[in-house]
Amino acid sequence: MNEWAGRVRDLTLFPLPGPLCLLTLLLPLLSPAAPISPAGPISQAYSLALYMQKNTSTLLQTYLQYQGSPFSDPGFSAPELQLSSLPPAAVSFKIWHALDDGERLNRAQGAFLALTQHLQLVGDDQSDLNPGSPILLAQLGAARLRAQGLLGNMAAIMTALGLPIPPEEDTLGLVPFGASAFQRKCRGYVVTREYGHWTDRAVRDLALLKAKYPA
Amino acid sequence: MMDIYLPLKRPSWLVDNKRMRTTSDFQWLLSTFVLLYLMNHVNSQRKETPYDLKCTTNNLQKWDCSWKAPSGASRGTLYEFCIDDRSHSCYHLARTNIEIPALSPGDHEITISLQDAGSSTSKFILNEKNISLIPDTPEILNLSADFSTSTLHVKWNDKGSVFPRHSNVIWEIKILWKKSMELVKLVTHNTTLNGKDTVHHWSWVSDLPLECAIHYVGIRCYVDNLLFSGHKEWSDWSPLKNISWTPDSQPKVFPQDKVILVGSNITFCCVSQEKVLSAQIGSTYCPLIHLDGENVAIKVHNISVSENSGTNVVFMIEDNVCGTVVFAGYPPDTPKKLNCETHDLKEIICSWDPGRSTGLVGPRNTSYKLFEGFSGKYVRFKKVDVSANESYHQLLLQMVPNQEIYNFTLYARNPLGRSESTILVNITEKVYPYTPTSLKVKDINSTAVILSWHLPGSFGKINLLCQIEINKINSVQESRNVTIKGVENSSYRIAVGKLNPYTVYTFRICCSTETFWKWSKWSNKKQHLTTEAIPSNGPDTWREWSSDGKNLIIYWKPLPISEANGKILSYNVSCSSDEETQSLSEILDPQHKAEIQLNKNDYIISVVAKNSVGASPPSKIASMEIPHDDVKTEQAVGMGKGILLTWHHNPNMTCDYVIKWCNSSRSEPCLMDWRKVPSNSTEALIESDQFRPGVRYKFFLYGCRNQGYQLLRSIIGYIKELAPTVAPNFTVEDTSADSILVKWEDIPVEELRGFLRGYLFYFEKGERDTSKMRGLESGRSDIKVKNITDISQKTLRIADLQGKTSYHLVLQAYTDGGLGPEKSMFVVTKENSVGLIIAILIPVAVAVIVGVVTSILCYRKREWIKETFYPDIPNPENCKALQFQKSVCEGSGALKTLEMNPCTPNNVEVLETRSTFPKIEDTEIISPVAECPEDSSDAEPENHVVVSYCPPIIEEEIPNPGGDEAGGTSQVIYIDVQSMYQPQARPEEEQEKDPVGGAGYKPQMHLPINSTVEDIAAEGDLDKTAGYRPQANVNTWHLVSPDSPRSTDSNSEIVSFGSPCSINSRQFLIPPKDEDSPQSSGGGWSFTNFFQNKPND
Repeated sequence: MNEWAGRVRDLTLFPLPGPLCLLTLLLPLLSPAAPISPAGPISQAYSLALYMQKNTSTLLQTYLQYQGSPFSDPGFSAPELQLSSLPPAAVSFKIWHALDDGERLNRAQGAFLALTQHLQLVGDDQSDLNPGSPILLAQLGAARLRAQGLLGNMAAIMTALGLPIPPEEDTLGLVPFGASAFQRKCRGYVVTREYGHWTDRAVRDLALLKAKYPA
Repeated sequence: MMDIYLPLKRPSWLVDNKRMRTTSDFQWLLSTFVLLYLMNHVNSQRKETPYDLKCTTNNLQKWDCSWKAPSGASRGTLYEFCIDDRSHSCYHLARTNIEIPALSPGDHEITISLQDAGSSTSKFILNEKNISLIPDTPEILNLSADFSTSTLHVKWNDKGSVFPRHSNVIWEIKILWKKSMELVKLVTHNTTLNGKDTVHHWSWVSDLPLECAIHYVGIRCYVDNLLFSGHKEWSDWSPLKNISWTPDSQPKVFPQDKVILVGSNITFCCVSQEKVLSAQIGSTYCPLIHLDGENVAIKVHNISVSENSGTNVVFMIEDNVCGTVVFAGYPPDTPKKLNCETHDLKEIICSWDPGRSTGLVGPRNTSYKLFEGFSGKYVRFKKVDVSANESYHQLLLQMVPNQEIYNFTLYARNPLGRSESTILVNITEKVYPYTPTSLKVKDINSTAVILSWHLPGSFGKINLLCQIEINKINSVQESRNVTIKGVENSSYRIAVGKLNPYTVYTFRICCSTETFWKWSKWSNKKQHLTTEAIPSNGPDTWREWSSDGKNLIIYWKPLPISEANGKILSYNVSCSSDEETQSLSEILDPQHKAEIQLNKNDYIISVVAKNSVGASPPSKIASMEIPHDDVKTEQAVGMGKGILLTWHHNPNMTCDYVIKWCNSSRSEPCLMDWRKVPSNSTEALIESDQFRPGVRYKFFLYGCRNQGYQLLRSIIGYIKELAPTVAPNFTVEDTSADSILVKWEDIPVEELRGFLRGYLFYFEKGERDTSKMRGLESGRSDIKVKNITDISQKTLRIADLQGKTSYHLVLQAYTDGGLGPEKSMFVVTKENSVGLIIAILIPVAVAVIVGVVTSILCYRKREWIKETFYPDIPNPENCKALQFQKSVCEGSGALKTLEMNPCTPNNVEVLETRSTFPKIEDTEIISPVAECPEDSSDAEPENHVVVSYCPPIIEEEIPNPGGDEAGGTSQVIYIDVQSMYQPQARPEEEQEKDPVGGAGYKPQMHLPINSTVEDIAAEGDLDKTAGYRPQANVNTWHLVSPDSPRSTDSNSEIVSFGSPCSINSRQFLIPPKDEDSPQSSGGGWSFTNFFQNKPND
């Protein structure tokens, strides 16, 4: 019902470190063969992603519920709201399918790295806006820890596959302390929503890998 | 030079003027000239001289005067302007205005003359009252805006230095907004001039955020000098200055993250380049107020309290959205119940109730500062993550050494306001000690201990008040308050006395200060057993001689805990007489009995109990039994658990009384227990857990005299009586024809379970088998009961019984506890022959006599009896009604049944029927006698058909004594079954009924009846026609009885079925006695009617 058309351009606060992204994508994938079987870490990461997937919609609903109307109105959705510092999970199937393992993992890795930092930021925002809501803060914290866990698992897969692990980078850039409360609420919404989308995508990524590297 | 100059100058102006006018409209020029002419005409007398002198001032020091030049004056005309005052100053000038110093109050003559023409001189009277004070137009020095607070700051100079005197100034400031310059606000601002140039500031907070629209500001002033008597006027408006905000490309909403008071009004605006579609606060949509460009605003009235994350305000733009958050809440409530206390006189804890929730959390939550006035110390409280509804807050503050009085002020502040609360405390009176810990107990002796505990705090300068709770098992809790000098090292000890030896105590403690404020919480409990002491008394002792009288058995009871003062280990028993002493020592505790072989001497027995500390004082008892008088055994019954024994006071008994008791069934020496009673008492309630109801006990009361005991009373009794458990065993000793002698035995004491009060004896007639079935319920009349209350009676003779009869005998005993079981027996009495013979003979004799007398009587009155009970019955052959042979059909003399002989109808008339369906109708049967056609034409005017025919069998004419006018003869009609299906006309109403009834059963026969009958039956008595009709209509009985004279009545055209003598079945065959109304049916006996009428009912 509250389908927010348009994109909040003033949320475009953190310029995407484009060159870095490109660099990670262009990293040579000609590493030596994996010393250990990748099936173990893939299966482990897949289980974690599946587990995360169960909680993402709860996180989004809890988050919206605490932001007041119109965020908390039933059926709220603003698909056009985006954050420039957070790569969108939506990708055309053709492109996604054409990705090789390294690229696929690299993108997921980059996204979850950005998500962990953003979830930390959203948690801080919410402890200002909703200090008396331990449920929300706990869910945000848990989501961040799981995202970090998935990052670790992906690193293990990349090691197993002999792929280079992209360096950790600061996706947030300059700390956006000056954001207004409304911007923070929108920012949190985009982060919790994209967390769900990226988790869905990670499940598919890992399922593909799992099929490719059976135990 | 001036002269030359001016004429030169004037034409040039004129030329200029003409040049301008040449390009202007000619008409306008014309009208102007006309106007000028008229004005000149009016002022014709001044035309030649300067006129209209007007003076104004803007600073009260100089006056600007101007006048109008006379008509002839050229531009360069020189004027002499003279003021006729003391100095008589004159000014020469070539213009028509002059600035002169302000003149003193009062009239001044002013002379203005043209210098080139001496005659043209004007005189004016100039007074301050005629002067207008018009201040200079002010100028805004600076206009700035604080966008975050939507505040405009205006700065200007009052130029007060030009005014010589103090004056009040009224400033009027106008604020316009939007490009269309709509007036938003017009305010006045008062200042005073103090002779110096002063810069003034004025600020204004806009409802609308300043970012959203351009704002213009203008100012003017009015100098209100009280000493100036002239006319005062507003200055002109200053040039407008404006404030605007340069938007970036992004739409933005203002104000951002504002905190406002609940219930206030607020305006939000959105700066946008694109069209704003809608706006909402929370979920409520608001109407848009359009500003310049695409900017819009919304106004929110009476805003309600926000949730924690604030209230969202969202503007929807074409392909975008922007918003802001507003936090509506309350300023902090005054902190309530501010209270400061200390636990340890080291640290002060102040707590308070924050009161009403502010509705603001996080960084907007209330912050508190606790300030101490004397020392100047303060602490801050800011708990950002605490939700606003937490009930109590508290703050800690270190105490200042040697300061007792503290003046605390608690400041509360949030973005909407502040509040405070103050309390003045003497902290030594507000001590709420910590819970005492490490409670320890140490023995001093068997009745005193030392309690020590730890209570943190520097109480060196005050006294503590502590409460010690002492709990003894199975005893009342005891509390003792003690005051202790406070110490700095937190360790306290105190002695607690007056305790019992060898007793388990539970101690706990709580403390306060002498200036009581609050008790601390109770410390943990500490259990302690006090040490043993020597037993305080000797055991309670009794003695019995053994049954052979040679041994003395000494009994004693274990000491009660309160007297034992420790664990009793053993007993020492000694028996001493003048001659010898025997002793038994170290009898270990569980044994409470000793046997000593003694001569029948007078001994003193002493028993001593020993515990680990020492021996008790001996308890002594004499072995001697003082002989007693003959003591009668009495009976007593107790109540409930005990039995009350009373006795008379006996002054001889000096020491005490002893009551001992035992179960009566036990053999001697019997002793269950004993009890000592002081010598002054006269009663004792003996209670024991060993007592059982229904058991007989023996009680012996001994009195003590000179160390010897004498038996005073012997009592048998029950604690409670019960019903006997067995029935008395009884036998029949003797039986005669009318009596039985019964004998029974005693019941043993154990089974009696109470004092026997009597027997109940029942007897009734009855056999063994039948009697078993019925109980002996009271109230049954055939049961006889005998209550035998003399318990010594052991036999009973039952008299007045019948001989050779079986009797059921029942006997049961009873006590006060109830009836025992019953024992029954069946006894048959012996036969009584004489009585039997008499009983048979007498009834036989009576019967014989009655029979004989009756026979005689019957014989004598036999004629009368025959007439009365057995009359002659007439021969039915003689009944005339049955003489068929004499009728028309003579030929068949004995014929009584229907005979199907051919018969020729003499008249058949057919009527067209209106019936819609075929009906089974009765055939109209008419006698062949010629009256039929006549009757139908006479008596029936209705349109109907009479079917006349001669029955196949000739009907037999019945002699009609009445001479009926209709037919003259009654007829017996026989129905031709085959001709039943004939159409028949009927009256209207019957035709109406037919469609209903026609569907039902159709009787084969319909007996037509006269219309009068129909009237009676169908109209007058519809109900009757509906129900069952007997075959013999009652009316017909008496109406048509052959003997009845009424049958001759003209009205009696009722159907005649025959005489009462006739056989019922024949009535079917006899038609109604009307031959002329074949359609009538109501009164007749008709199945058709029966069925037709019934549905109509």
